[in-house]
Amino acid sequence: MSPLGSVNPLSAAASPLTRLDAPMPKIGLHAPGAATAPANGFGQMFDNLVSGVTAKEDASEALTRKVLLGETDQLHQSVIARQEASVSFSLMVEVRNKLVESYQELMRMQV
Amino acid sequence: MNLLSGIDITAGALNAQKTRLDIVAQNIANAQTTRTPNGGPYQRQVVSFETALMRQSGSNGPGLQSVRVGTITADRTPGQQVYNPQHPDADRDGLVTMPNVNLSYEMVDLITASRAYEANLSVAKNARTMAMKALEIGK
Repeated sequence: MSPLGSVNPLSAAASPLTRLDAPMPKIGLHAPGAATAPANGFGQMFDNLVSGVTAKEDASEALTRKVLLGETDQLHQSVIARQEASVSFSLMVEVRNKLVESYQELMRMQV
Repeated sequence: MNLLSGIDITAGALNAQKTRLDIVAQNIANAQTTRTPNGGPYQRQVVSFETALMRQSGSNGPGLQSVRVGTITADRTPGQQVYNPQHPDADRDGLVTMPNVNLSYEMVDLITASRAYEANLSVAKNARTMAMKALEIGK
């Protein structure tokens, strides 16, 4: 019914985050000899997350433009889409912070 | 997936309340209209809402229901008759049938719609606050 109902580009991107009981994705702790990058690693997941956030922001921008152009009077839906984009951006920043934190933790590890 | 759960429902409710506000505006604007395309004075419009199934959350979760404008019907109450022989729409006895719009009803409707809109806005605000609080887990 609402344009918001169709705005769910995060569904594919965030699915690894939604199911806690799902099997862990292969992070790819390869032996030093294996030089091939893991196909479905953390980078891929983060990539999906970023593109999901971008899609949400695009959708909210499209709704705002529609309101500004007078094609629709659904002001609240544009603002709600903006909020959703903002929340998903915060989620992405949070994931990135955790990632950097664990990287630094690894770097501080005594060998 | 929707990050802000229930926000679709709120969006539907906001939309419905806005339509109601538009109809109240129309009623107030036409409180003195004695001529319509259908003939006769303007008739007060009344909005009624109906539930709209948004989506089934999960396989066994509750079906979440939003709201939408069901019907917009005309109030059939006869309007007041005013003696005004100079009026172009006056009948042979000089009586003009005015619209059945009662301004006090409309003002009450206006306040109700505006308060309901505010209530739904606080739901949207709280959904966002809850999501932001959830992001603070582990900080």
